[in-house]
Formats: sequence, C-alpha cells, structure tokens
Amino acid sequence: MTGTILSQSDLAELVDHLVAEGTSVIAPVPARDDARRTEYRPIRSLGEAALGGPLPRCSLKEFFLPPSQVLLRYRQRKDGVDLQEVPTTFAPQVILGARPCDAAGVETLDKVMGWDYRDELWFGRREATTIVSLACRGVDSSCFCHAVGLGPNSTKGADVLLVPLNGTPSAHPSQPAGVLAESVDAFLRDSEPFAGAFGLEAKGQKPPPVVGYLAEPVTPKGEALLKGRGKPATERSDLEEAQGFVKVARDRVARNFAALQLANGHLPEWLANNFDHQLWKSLALRCHGCGACAAVCSTCHCFDIVDEHDSYGQGARRRNWDSCQSAKFTLHASGHNPRQTQTERFRQRVMHKFSIYPRRFDAILCSGCGRCARVCPAGMSLPEIVGEFVQLAGPEIPGSVR
Amino acid sequence: MNLYQPHRMRIEEITDETPDTRTFKLVFQDTALKDTFRFSAGQFGEYSVFGEGESTFCIASPPTRKGYIECSFRAVGVVTQAMRRLGVGDTVGFRGPYGNTFPIDRMKGQSLVFVAGGIALPPVRCVIWNVLDLRAEFKDVTIVYGARTVADLVYKRELEDWSKRPDVKLWQAVDPGGQTPDWTGEVGLIPKVLEKAAPSAQDAFAVVCGPPVMIKYTLPVLSKLGFSDDRIYTTLENRMKCGIGKCGRCNIGPVYVCKDGPVFNLEQMKKLPAEF
Repeated sequence: MTGTILSQSDLAELVDHLVAEGTSVIAPVPARDDARRTEYRPIRSLGEAALGGPLPRCSLKEFFLPPSQVLLRYRQRKDGVDLQEVPTTFAPQVILGARPCDAAGVETLDKVMGWDYRDELWFGRREATTIVSLACRGVDSSCFCHAVGLGPNSTKGADVLLVPLNGTPSAHPSQPAGVLAESVDAFLRDSEPFAGAFGLEAKGQKPPPVVGYLAEPVTPKGEALLKGRGKPATERSDLEEAQGFVKVARDRVARNFAALQLANGHLPEWLANNFDHQLWKSLALRCHGCGACAAVCSTCHCFDIVDEHDSYGQGARRRNWDSCQSAKFTLHASGHNPRQTQTERFRQRVMHKFSIYPRRFDAILCSGCGRCARVCPAGMSLPEIVGEFVQLAGPEIPGSVR
Repeated sequence: MNLYQPHRMRIEEITDETPDTRTFKLVFQDTALKDTFRFSAGQFGEYSVFGEGESTFCIASPPTRKGYIECSFRAVGVVTQAMRRLGVGDTVGFRGPYGNTFPIDRMKGQSLVFVAGGIALPPVRCVIWNVLDLRAEFKDVTIVYGARTVADLVYKRELEDWSKRPDVKLWQAVDPGGQTPDWTGEVGLIPKVLEKAAPSAQDAFAVVCGPPVMIKYTLPVLSKLGFSDDRIYTTLENRMKCGIGKCGRCNIGPVYVCKDGPVFNLEQMKKLPAEF
C-alpha cells in the first residue's frame, strides 16, 4: 500500500474546500428517523458525517440512477407539442465514505448502461462524481462481499480508498466461542446492525477512535482530489496498521456463510441449464413479491418509463425505479404474462444476478452488501439461497469459462 | 443526445382497420430526419403520446417506402387508448428504430410463406411489402392470414390488392362462426388452412406471427411441410420500456428481446427457456 495519510482535520478541510467551491459532498449521516442507522445524504461539514457507522440503509445507486428521474419535459400546444431536453452534464459531486460494496455496485452497472447504447444520464453523473470509499470497520451477519470476489477494502468503483487508522496497531479481537455464542452474536448483530462489530462493543468496549486515514488513490480523479493534501504515507507502522485493520474485517466477513463462493465460474451456466429446477418453486414460496430487495439493492437497476403531468398540458417523462418482483412488470397488454407466478419472478431476479449478467457482461450483478437479506419481510437470504444452487452446481470445473 | 428523447412525428393519415385497431401514417416533423431516417424490416420503435407514456410497436410499413412510417395498434391500454383519441395533424413521439431485422438478403432468390393471425399481421406486412416492392428478387409468395371474425381482419384493402395479384397466393381465413354470409375465404383455424394451402418448403422461408396458441399449433405444420428450424422466422413481442437493453424487462432467460430480437428463428427459440 502506498498513499497519503489524512488526519481527521485534513479530511475536514477537504470537505470544507469542496463545499466552498460548490461541490456537493455526500456521506453517510445518521438517518432522520433512526439515529442507529445511516443513509447517504449531502453534508456541509465533516462533523455531520457518520463515517464508519453501520451500512447505510440504501445503496449509492440513487446518486446515479435517481428513484424518479426526468427524461424530458413536454408542453402541449394547440397545434403541437414542445419538447425540452434535460441536460446530460451534471454538477460535480464527491461521495465520501462510500462502502466498498456500494462503489463496486456502481461500477458493475456501467456495463449495462454502456453496452451498445450509452446512457448519457448515467454516465454524465458518473463522470461528475468522485467516489471515496472507506474500508469497512464493521461487518454484520448479512454481509457477503467476500463471496462475490470483493472485500472490506475492495477498490472496485472507487477513486480513492480510505483505511482508518487509530494510532495503535490493531489487535485481532477474540472470537466468540462456541456455536451458541456465535448464534447469539449473529442474532444481536442482526437486531442492531453492527453492534457486534469486531466483538468489541458486545464486551462493553468502545472501538478505538479513528485519528486519520491511509488514503490510496485508485484513479486519476482520485489523485486529483488528494493532490496537496495530508502527508505521504511513509511510516511503516501506519501501513502495517492499515493492513492489520483490513485483515480483521476480511477475516470477520469470511466467517459469514462459510466458504460460500458465488463468483463460481460454473454457476452461470449451471443456473441456465437448470431453469426448471424444482428448488425454484420451494424457495420462492416464501417470497411476497414486495420488491424491497430490489429497492435497496446496490445493483438492481430495472426501471419503468411514465409520463406525469405537472399541470394542465405540461409535465415530464420520467424513469422510475421498478422491480421484476412485481406481477405487472412483464404483463402484456393482451393479458398474457410470461412470468405468471412469484416463482418465475423470483427466479428472474436470481438468474439476472448470477447467470444472465455474468454471461453477458462477465460480472456478477451483486456486490454482497446483504441489504436484500436485511430488509426481506420473509427473512429470505440471497446468499443462502444462491448457496443452495452453488452446492448443487458443484465445484468450479478448472478451465471452464462463464 | 439523451437516448430517451423522442422525435416528434405528425399523424398524416389514420386508417380504421377493425373496430378497435387503427393504423397511423407518421411523418417526422424534423425535415432532415424525414430524408435520412432508415430502418430494416422487423425493427420496432417506442411510440408515445405526451402526457400518457410510451408503447412498443413494430414499424408496420416497409423500409422500401421512404419518408414516412406506419404503425398499427389495438386500443387496449393507457397509451393506445390515448393514441386512439388523436387525430390527423396531431403529434406523437417516436424513438427507434431498435432491434434486429429479418434476413431479407438471405431470403432473396427464395420463396416466402407468410403466416399471420389477427393483430399480428403488422410485423409480417412490413416484410410482405418489402418483398413485393422488390418482387423480381424473390420466387413464390404465399400469404396465409386469418382472424377470429371478418371484422377483425386488418389491412382489408391490402388483402384485396394481394388477392388480385397474380404473383401472390393469398389464403384468407376466419375462425368458425366468424364468417359473414358473403365470406368467400376459408373458415377454419390457421394451422388447418396452412395444411390445406400446403406451400412448398423447397428453397423457402416461413415468417410466422400470431398469438402464442396459433404459433404453437402452426410450427408443427411448417415442420411437416419440410421447413427446417433455421428457415422459420417469427417476432417475439415482450413488454418493453427502454427498447435498448437497459430497463431489464423483456428478457427471456439470457436473451434480451429488444437487443437480440425481436426477430428469431425457430432454432434460436428452441434454445430459450419456456418463459414467453
């Protein structure tokens, strides 16, 4: 690792500078209705941010694919229609303290947004945005980034990666002993997101305060952001501490869904060949089709296009988030519906992520953030479900291509 | 330009095909585009009524006729019912052309058999006129078309034209009970009429469009007549929003109908999961 050491005050100055020049800075902040949770929102100073807190409730996709986005405006005249284009260039924004899984999800979506037809509304925002990821301090029992080939310090999609430093070499926390302790631990973690991170809070200890960050530029955009800030990372102890930090988080997330490997090169083909597998039906029986999983997902990008009047004779064509879990998603005008039951709709979601997207774009449409499992009212866990198929699919055949 | 920005088109002419089906003849308001717009048989577009939304239809006119496009629609949903309320001179939006095309070049020098049912004639009509406008480049042309009742037959004037042409063999049919006293065409379901027409599969391609149940029973007849799977073509009509491979709606397994289709041959369709 090479990079820059940013103290808390260096980072605060960076935020002040960006805000002063008119750049929108977005960071996790305590949620308005529940201070234990966070969400990505614009901040005016570093003090408002809750960096390193629990995983924000929703992913970053809303800053690139807003839940409801104007595609064009229209105004009806007596003898025609006036159309107004929307700009495809956007004001600069910096996302500070992005979760590595969320940043990765954004990069994964570049593929579908850019194949053949280039979605300028997506890429306009991508180009205007610098993503500063923050390596994860905590991991909860729904996290499974390791299973999709990412990790708590993954740089996919990031322009800069920050690793927290607390000034003392981090000790590996003790592991909770025994199966019972493990399940209690998991239960507590699920009830109170991140409360059990590293097992420190559970013992009444507070995690050591973060005094600074090791900032690693990943892209030229990231280099430009860090230029002239902090001091070069030369202290061996800082680098070791950062490595130690990452190792702890990595070891912790690896304990989730033991040995689950969804980046299995064999899985996309296997799923395609087992489209009618009996397991789909039994797995899908629990699904209500509410689509909450898709709303919070870092990579679900399906949308609807609708016209909405603002006032008489004028309005906007919008693209709104949609979900393949809804019965009307594929309903034809004739009444025919290719995906009649929740089984087909649930299968579509899993297939899209782990078979269709990998086969077409060579990337899993999942970043392992685990939000789908956290919000599911029926307690369905995507990693567990796909894990069942991984077991059936068997180990990857060496040399096989997906 | 933003991909979702439609072109404005003026409704030049409206034809009532059946009690609930209409054809619009549309001309680009942008005069430069009127001359430069190109498409191929089989492609589709996103048509819109501003304030109501977009809807997906094929381009029903042939690429051999330039300066305008046509679309035929049945008023069943929000957008199509709004389209029905429009008149000549009104504006609609159009994005396209999208999707793949029928292999017109491969079809040259060959015979063609067109089989269509009900409102599924428009995509086939595009190919029919494309072929008839270049008539010398193709061998025999057979058209088998049917609808539930005489009133439901679309493009009635064109059917009459085709029936009079010596270089076209036209078989018209209505479902039993759908005939009128003066009906001179066939009475029966499409697969039966196709069996009776028995077009030769020698150096021939078949283009089939219709409701799923018609397709299901027509394909075995074509196979029996000797058409191989790679010579039977159809278009798949899934619900779409973007038309350009982004909105995640029209896929059948790994295949995006908007990008990989809408035109498929039977060989390709047999590889798709049964979810369409």
